[in-house]
Amino acid sequence: MVKLTEYEAEMLSGAHGPLRQKAMENIVAYAVALGADELCEVSKATLFMGAHEYLDVLKTDNYEKIFSKMYMCSDETIPLVSFDSGCFSQTCAAPCDQYRYKELHLSREFFEKNKRYLEATKEAGVSIAGSCTPYFTGWIPIKGEHFVTTESSNVLMCNSVFGARGNSDGLEAAVWSAVCGRTPKWGCHTDEGRLGNTVVQIECPSETAVDWDLIGYTVGRLLPPHGRPVLEGKFKRPDIIRLKQCFAAMATTSGAEICHIVGVTPEANTLEQALGGGQPEHRLTVDREACRQSYDMLCCPDTGKIDYVTLGCPHYNLQEVREAAMYLRGKRVHKGVELIIWTDFSTREMASQNGYTDWIEQAGGMLMTSGCPLVIGKRCYGHAEGIAADGAKQAHYLRSETSAPVYYSDMRRCIEAAVSGEWREEMRYDI
Amino acid sequence: MTFELQGRGAFGGRAEGEALVCPESIQGWAGISDVTGRIIEHGHSQWGRSIDGKILVLPCSKGSNGWSCHFNSAMVSGFKPAGWVFTKVDSRAGVAIAVLKVPAVSDLNGDPCQLIRTGDYVRMDGDSGRIEVIRKGE
Repeated sequence: MVKLTEYEAEMLSGAHGPLRQKAMENIVAYAVALGADELCEVSKATLFMGAHEYLDVLKTDNYEKIFSKMYMCSDETIPLVSFDSGCFSQTCAAPCDQYRYKELHLSREFFEKNKRYLEATKEAGVSIAGSCTPYFTGWIPIKGEHFVTTESSNVLMCNSVFGARGNSDGLEAAVWSAVCGRTPKWGCHTDEGRLGNTVVQIECPSETAVDWDLIGYTVGRLLPPHGRPVLEGKFKRPDIIRLKQCFAAMATTSGAEICHIVGVTPEANTLEQALGGGQPEHRLTVDREACRQSYDMLCCPDTGKIDYVTLGCPHYNLQEVREAAMYLRGKRVHKGVELIIWTDFSTREMASQNGYTDWIEQAGGMLMTSGCPLVIGKRCYGHAEGIAADGAKQAHYLRSETSAPVYYSDMRRCIEAAVSGEWREEMRYDI
Repeated sequence: MTFELQGRGAFGGRAEGEALVCPESIQGWAGISDVTGRIIEHGHSQWGRSIDGKILVLPCSKGSNGWSCHFNSAMVSGFKPAGWVFTKVDSRAGVAIAVLKVPAVSDLNGDPCQLIRTGDYVRMDGDSGRIEVIRKGE
């Protein structure tokens, strides 16, 4: 039995309108499914809004119907009145750039539809941000703050690094929470649900963003179900870019929601603190060989033609856009190759102010916002004969969705591939 | 052979059907087809099989936060499991249970992924948490 406050019971009874009532019904069913006793207040949300491909199954472009059925799970159409005013909500990655569509092989009709869908939720209170790295746009839940997000790497970042509290619930539940301002108090929302239970000894290279991408991918591969890893060992201190890569990859190969790093993250000043004084259920080691195996799972072993290069999974921040722009400056992307760098549009604006967008475009590359090949779908990359990516998450899912060879390496080597139009042996990441 | 398992009811109601057991779980994104309800995850032991009408036996969810939405899309396309049996529910699985609104049982007195086999006939009660497993030919 889920214990509700007076206000929550009012919402459930319909006193605050049918939208909040349906959201509460769903949240209570979710709490029962988890075995949660009560709910907690959510004050930050990122939501997967826009004309995403999976919504096409409903075979309508009436957004109120789509919203009711696909997000609220209601057969009745419920007016999309407003989201909860106490929860700041913004959009996650979108299936189109905020400004351009032709270059992404998308139709004007689709671009307009996506805009219309985003406008509908904006009117109800969800700001358009188009970011899978919302912490780079100012969306940052702080220690103890309850959040929901539809981006799995963001769950790991907010729990582990910011000390905020959230679970990897899913696209529908994030919307229910943003509507009624509540989520089940369970898992990472509770003290005990955050304690590490799996000690991971890091004995592999840990210098670069790709090293940390591979650490995340490997930890995820080896992690048992319901594992909450605690990383320890003689690794080089990671920065937020390295952790962004690590968490995106870890959330690709596992369901991890929190990852403590001894001496780095706030609930892991010591290994004992991260484990809550208890003994770990599992112990793992990530060494160079395990990371090599991960690399081989992500990068096609052949050499060959490259005509599509995607950088920025998760979205680049200004520092990464700058580094890519500086490396591209004076170079020229090979004829017939699409080089796309992905970020959010606040970062793109700063990049433009600093001249980085010009450097990228003068080299023949593009700086796009909001989406990525995976989120947009095959229509934007399905024509490619050889793809290079600098994110393990992107490479992993692209490999499962296309028959074209997919190669994976660091930013610079991927840019070299874009410039030469081919993937050569020396472009493989040397781990 | 018939045996019973007792667990926690995670979504009420009764269901029965053939078990589809996936000890490696199933990815939602790039794992379940939105339009056919079939398992499309590369290298999956049950690749190509439909979840429709099955008692889906899983240890937990797997992969991206976009897990429940692919079961949701498959349901809108006309394909959904008759019931869920989880070794242990996690947050993604909890949402999928609330979205599909079919009977669900978790936290049983034995690991269902070890004890139930694909093809077994399962009767389940999501209110009491009781499961009956009927294995033909044994």
